[in-house]
Amino acid sequence: MKRNIFKKATSISFILALLFSISTFSQELTVDDYKLSFSFKTIKKFDNSRVLEVTFIGKNREDRKDKIPVYDAEIKFFNIVNGEEILLGTAKTSNEGIAQLILSEKQKYLTDSDGYINFTARFEGSETLDSEEEEILVKDLQLHLELKEIDSVKTIFVKAFTIDSLGVETPVEELDVIISIEGMLSKMKIKEGTIENGEIEFELLQNIPGDIDKNFTVYAQILDNDEFGDVIQKQTVNWGTFTKIASEDENKLWSEAAPIWMYIVLTILLVGVWANYVYTVIHLIKIKKEGKNLELSNKE
Amino acid sequence: MENKKTENGSTNRRKFLKLGLMSSVTAVAGASLISNLVNDEEVKPSGEKMRLLTPDGKIVEVDASNVNKYPEALITPEESRKGIPNRKFVMVIDLAKCKNARKCVEGCQKAHKLDYNEEFMKVQLIQDNPEASPYWLPKPCFHCDEPPCVTVCPTGATFKREDNIVLIDNDRCIGCKFCITSCPYSARQFNWGHKDKFDDKSQPYSPETSVPAAEGTVMKCDFCPDMLRQGKLPHCASSCPMGVIYFGDKNEDIVTNGEETVRFSKLIEDRGGYRHLEHLGTKPNVYYLPAVNRQFPLERGFNIDEDIIERYKDVPYVQQLKKDGKI
Amino acid sequence: MNIETRKRELVKEFSPLIEKTTKVSKIWMAILVAIILVGIYSFFVQLFKGHEVTGMRDNVVWGVYIINFIFFVCLSYSGAFISGILHFFKTPWKNSISRIVEIITVLSLIIGPIFILLCIGRLDRLHYLFLYPRIQSPITWDIIAIMTDLIGCFIYLYLTFIPDFAILRDHSDDAPKWRQKLYKFLAIGYQDTESQRETLHKITRTMSAMIIALAIVAYSVLAWIFSLTLQPGWNSSIFAPYFIIAGLYSGVSVIIIAMYLIRKYYHLEHYIRKVHFVSGGIILLILSLLYGYFTFSEYFSRWFSHKTHDTNLLNTLFTRYFWEFVFANYIGVLVPVVILFFKKLRTIKSITFASIIAILGLWLNRYLIVVPTLETPYLPIQDTRAEFVHYTATWVEWSLSFAGVAAFILFFILIMKLVPIIPMSGIIDNERSSKVKSTLTKPVTES
Repeated sequence: MKRNIFKKATSISFILALLFSISTFSQELTVDDYKLSFSFKTIKKFDNSRVLEVTFIGKNREDRKDKIPVYDAEIKFFNIVNGEEILLGTAKTSNEGIAQLILSEKQKYLTDSDGYINFTARFEGSETLDSEEEEILVKDLQLHLELKEIDSVKTIFVKAFTIDSLGVETPVEELDVIISIEGMLSKMKIKEGTIENGEIEFELLQNIPGDIDKNFTVYAQILDNDEFGDVIQKQTVNWGTFTKIASEDENKLWSEAAPIWMYIVLTILLVGVWANYVYTVIHLIKIKKEGKNLELSNKE
Repeated sequence: MENKKTENGSTNRRKFLKLGLMSSVTAVAGASLISNLVNDEEVKPSGEKMRLLTPDGKIVEVDASNVNKYPEALITPEESRKGIPNRKFVMVIDLAKCKNARKCVEGCQKAHKLDYNEEFMKVQLIQDNPEASPYWLPKPCFHCDEPPCVTVCPTGATFKREDNIVLIDNDRCIGCKFCITSCPYSARQFNWGHKDKFDDKSQPYSPETSVPAAEGTVMKCDFCPDMLRQGKLPHCASSCPMGVIYFGDKNEDIVTNGEETVRFSKLIEDRGGYRHLEHLGTKPNVYYLPAVNRQFPLERGFNIDEDIIERYKDVPYVQQLKKDGKI
Repeated sequence: MNIETRKRELVKEFSPLIEKTTKVSKIWMAILVAIILVGIYSFFVQLFKGHEVTGMRDNVVWGVYIINFIFFVCLSYSGAFISGILHFFKTPWKNSISRIVEIITVLSLIIGPIFILLCIGRLDRLHYLFLYPRIQSPITWDIIAIMTDLIGCFIYLYLTFIPDFAILRDHSDDAPKWRQKLYKFLAIGYQDTESQRETLHKITRTMSAMIIALAIVAYSVLAWIFSLTLQPGWNSSIFAPYFIIAGLYSGVSVIIIAMYLIRKYYHLEHYIRKVHFVSGGIILLILSLLYGYFTFSEYFSRWFSHKTHDTNLLNTLFTRYFWEFVFANYIGVLVPVVILFFKKLRTIKSITFASIIAILGLWLNRYLIVVPTLETPYLPIQDTRAEFVHYTATWVEWSLSFAGVAAFILFFILIMKLVPIIPMSGIIDNERSSKVKSTLTKPVTES
């Protein structure tokens, strides 16, 4: 009987604990506390592929610092012309709330009469989350980057133009461009300027170390442009001034192998001491032998 | 057949990651993410929770090991001795911007699964003399070029890599604590007793992550080489809201705090960068920019837990503040 | 034949020491065993609960264990040093104390390293020291030095035991069978022939020289564990000679105390005489002056140059550790100096008292070298947890420390049950040589 009561008590307390935990859980924030932000951008990469990227994040209405990514939401990407929707692909948001679709260079897009491509990203919504949609209109920009040494001055040439359906190149006016160098963790901005008449040139006066082979990568970036979105171009060049400090593989106190003199001293010391031990033991054996012989002769 | 293929794929990816390259990692991670969530019975919970909003409007707390599975590119203790090729990592800490927000400490503790009082990154309040104005000093391991801790280690459990990083292999450490006594910067800590988190083997041990720690061994700041291999900043640098901590490769002479990227040599030259206790000759790889033209008054740093303020009670400035009844 | 009868006499004289165990000594042994058992219990507590049960924390990572380690190892090195000197220079009154010194040497060299094992976080990985050795580390040097020294001391001790084993083998007919067998085995057929005696003397002499050299090297290596670091209180070039002097200081003191106790409890007044205490006292006087000189130079140069971090250390020593500092470095030096300096004050009891003061002072001096230095690092300790700021040893550490001392005494008593504490062969050697030398006066045993 007692046991039964005990069992009951534990099960009741278990249920109570469960209820309690649920009630605490319900006090937590719900989706209504968050304002959803859906932002869409396009990046044209150096290999002429294009990335369509949606960032889908809930921001706490009260606490600005509290952001929560929408995870595993299906985003559909379209190219729309005259109301006709062409599905380019779908992607799900990551644990950072980002959905990316990478379109290859070969991908063809339909443009409107002014040469704009309409990209639309759509989240179709669920029972609790509203649908979201954002469209962007961009022109396909051709960004060229050329690195040349002119009169031993390292010079960076940037060209920007659009090509219409007939294949006519039109230089771009007043386009801000940023020149940067690729680092291991980030890009370092070194110059910026505005493209006039489809081109701009920069002189690279500072010494850039580059990697071990004196190579470094120069980026030309157009960021957040109303007409073109993000466009990135890059070029690797052997202009580095890297000099390797030759101090490797020396035997030091903190390297794997010790300085040679240490091995020598230690060996001399140990050999000396152990030779003495061996000498002593050999003599002890001699004493023992003599003792045995004596014993034998005594017996006889 | 199929199994073999995936195996190959994963080893290739391992190799790829180990090269220290990082492009398109996010894409791959995104793909493996969903599959991880589906067969989540296999993954042991790591205890770390991550909040996410699902498309059907629920806020869920997911175990981080389900979503944020550690890169398959596990760096074994043997491999971790080599270092990332052709890199020389340096850190620059801008004392003028530090307001003791302690985000670096917390970010580091979260990533390395450290308890409240276990800090690889410590923020100290230093007043060089009674007249000097005190300043906050975030203090990681200095990853010295001539590390006294490595010199004295009897088993080679702590070692200096080619990329400047000094790591500890806690599979090798015998716990003699000689390295702790020989570090002039008190950067090392010892695991005095057993803790449950040591038993969590869901994430295989690597000296590059320092997780899981082990009883009776030494641990310290590791410069987060696992993040560096993915092309990301160490946790302290990425979690600092003020951009105090710059990190980068001295070979390419570029350091970044996540917001701005600058030339390392120019930063040191322009701002009078120095190394702490230079006269000891350990040649640290952590540089400090002096606390001049500060962005925040020092008092901002006292907006923290009571018991952490208590730590600074011996600093003359704090004693004065207490006398004046300001704390 | 005269010698043979003399041997028989000596065996008869000493056999009560070996074979009879008095009630008092039984009680003593029981107490010692009890202390050791408590120590073993606390060892298991530490093994299962981790080093959390000690008072050591991140700043003071080395505590009483390391202090005991240096104390015992220094004691052993000084024992080796002294006994090497006694043998090598054929000191006239050496015979009565040489065995005491040798036993101290070996025992403390066994007990000392146990303390460093207690300090190691992962005993299960001890073999890594040999699997992945790093020649650069002073710990590796120390391990090599201790092991070599231990083997050397064992061989040396054995060499000095052989003639006595032979005498015991030949003359203990009443002893139990196992003893007779043991003596026969250990005596390795030593028959005290001219050539055997000469060989044994020769190798004992070379070994004694070797032991002196080894002790100096091992001392220095031990001191380097501290002085090769950058810590303000440790990084000192005089640490190696300082450790040698301090070690000898404690070694001579322990020998004097042992002499006193053995003389008193085993009634060996005939062999251990006042002359031994007085000469020991004079050596202790010289050592205490040297030790005081080194201590003074060490702290004086730190105080005079007053580098910031040295000053911090000295401030700690003169505030938090004031009384310990006074006891270790004033009383621990001056009291022995005063007692031993005046001829009138040199009695057996006062010399022993001076030795006790010297040992306690020296142990505290070690404590002050290790702990306050770790409590004042280059960067200030900013921590709210009291145990991380200051070190206080816990009961686990204390009980293990006392267990070490108890084990030392217990093993000493047990070895005295195996061979006489006064080497019989030495007595005979002395008698033999004095007979040859002096034909005019009646031979007097040196003892």
